[in-house]
Amino acid sequence: MIEYRNVTKSYGGSPVVKEICLTIEKGEFVVLVGPSGCGKTTTLKMLNRLIPMDGGDILINGKSVKEQNPEILRRNIGYVIQQIGLFPNMTVEQNITVVPRMMKWDKERRRKRARELMELVDMDYDTYANKYPSELSGGQQQRIGVLRALAVDPPVILMDEPFSALDPITRDSLQDEIKRLQKQLNKTVIFVTHDMNEAIKLADRIVFMYDGKILQAAPPEEMLRSPADGIIREFMGKHVQKIRMEDELNCSDIMRTRIATISPQRKTLECVELMSQYEVNSLVVVDDNKNYLGIVTIEDIRDHGEAGQPVEALIRTDAPCVGTGQHARDAFRILVEKKADYVVVVTPENRLAGIVTKSSISKAMASALWGEG
Amino acid sequence: MSLQHFMDTYALKLLQAIFVHLGYVVLCVAIGSAIALVLAVLLTRIPRFSKLIMPFLSILQTIPGIVFIGILYLYTGMRPITVMIALSVYAIFPVLKNAYSGILHVDEKYKEAAKGCGMSSWQTLFYVELPLATPSIFTGIRMTVIYLVSWTVLAAMIGQGGLGEFIYRGVGTNDNRLILMGAVPAAVMAIGLGALLDKLQKKLTPRGIRLQEQSESGQSSGKGGI
Ligand SMILES: Nc1ncnc2c1ncn2[C@@H]1O[C@H](COP(=O)(O)OP(=O)(O)OP(=O)(O)O)[C@@H](O)[C@H]1O
Ligand SMILES: [Mg+2]
Repeated sequence: MIEYRNVTKSYGGSPVVKEICLTIEKGEFVVLVGPSGCGKTTTLKMLNRLIPMDGGDILINGKSVKEQNPEILRRNIGYVIQQIGLFPNMTVEQNITVVPRMMKWDKERRRKRARELMELVDMDYDTYANKYPSELSGGQQQRIGVLRALAVDPPVILMDEPFSALDPITRDSLQDEIKRLQKQLNKTVIFVTHDMNEAIKLADRIVFMYDGKILQAAPPEEMLRSPADGIIREFMGKHVQKIRMEDELNCSDIMRTRIATISPQRKTLECVELMSQYEVNSLVVVDDNKNYLGIVTIEDIRDHGEAGQPVEALIRTDAPCVGTGQHARDAFRILVEKKADYVVVVTPENRLAGIVTKSSISKAMASALWGEG
Repeated sequence: MSLQHFMDTYALKLLQAIFVHLGYVVLCVAIGSAIALVLAVLLTRIPRFSKLIMPFLSILQTIPGIVFIGILYLYTGMRPITVMIALSVYAIFPVLKNAYSGILHVDEKYKEAAKGCGMSSWQTLFYVELPLATPSIFTGIRMTVIYLVSWTVLAAMIGQGGLGEFIYRGVGTNDNRLILMGAVPAAVMAIGLGALLDKLQKKLTPRGIRLQEQSESGQSSGKGGI
């Protein structure tokens, strides 16, 4: 178990990591996400003491990293860097067994371990062991980079944007592999990325960092469904692609929240005025507590309305209506089947939350297809 | 003096001079390079040193060889050791400069990976930095060899033999044949030693680095060197 306790770090007086607290369970795959410069790498590297912390403490299984010899500490924490960093003067086998060599394993044991590890990623020992990194593809190199981190079977692996330099297809298969290895070997992984898709795919828990702080730490589904902060929502909006609408989106994800409402005491004329102002032909009626009462349409006012009369009498309560937690596809179906202009979204307490219109659908589809909000 | 007679008179002397010359060069390059490597390593490990040593060495470097040997001569006399000290000191700088920048410019990602693997500073040096700096170090040694072949001519100034003897005597007696007898073997020696070093470099550079350089050729390699 890893425990960050009020960890802080400053550079030249300006804090870049601010009192971070985070507990990571054994076997957990934690992904640190956030915009560039928010302190992810710093947070990661303080764990294996590549960067010294200024305040607070980090405990691994109850023991402070500060009390451990940094070299021994690092040998027991796997580390994979973005630029791969395989040593070009060493063969694949020598690269994989660098840490065992530091730990004075004998040659036989090192060789055996190299074989085992290469089997894990389906790389043939006899074909690749004596090759040099420059003879491998990028994806193969980073596989070896991962094996190097796994060599002495450390319980914890740190990975700083390990796949960001790879092409999308290679990246995808390495993501699958790392996830499989992590499960199979029951490793605790702390993984840095600023690719939200990668985070969603890999994480048991996403830790969203912003400006040196943790804004939210939650499983991917939860973060998608209820981001704790507008910043996260915006970041995800920019980065989340290919969400499968049926599975992941509900009405509150796609509804419009800025809508024209009116209270039941307002007079019909005011109502018409509002409609023309907003260029709509109906308004949602809510009371002072935002409780949803129904809608009022221009047709009803025209056909049944009297000047100076409150709209209360004209409220329609049969407008299509869904709950915030309902699947987005329900709203879509209603829109299509009833040929309605919009569906009203209400909270479980019957408060007005927003509306889903046809343009909400096209927006959601666009973002699903092209990742644009 | 007929050419035949000339050759008979000087052939043995020339052979001897070549060996003395070669001896000075090889020995002094070896001593100088060894000192340079140790210094380079110290400089990269203890950056404070580089502030002290680098200026000192570059001042030494600017003193003309003749002056330096002349001054040394006052202390150590007319002995081979005078020549050797002077030449070794001159041999240090090109190697030092190249080795130092070679080690310093080893890509940060390798140093970080090494550190992340739990290597100590010295382990990083021996397993990663020095091997990666070999091309650069060889560039320095190669330069030194070429320089030293010509600087060793100065040995004759204080009567310590070498090909310089022919050159000085040729200049003194206005005999171009003597000058050529000194200069041509020196030139051949420089070229020959250069070629030998290239062979040695191929042997000593880790294969992976050579492969990497091949695959990177065309792009700037970002390595140290001059
Ligand atoms: N050695 C340093 N000296 C001064 N400032 C630094 C140093 N290292 C990092 N910083 C600053 O600390 C902040 C956090 O850096 P960090 O590398 O942790 O960000 P990050 O979240 O990993 O960003 P990225 O996604 O770009 O890798 C940044 O603003 C960065 O400029
Ligand atoms: Mg980073």
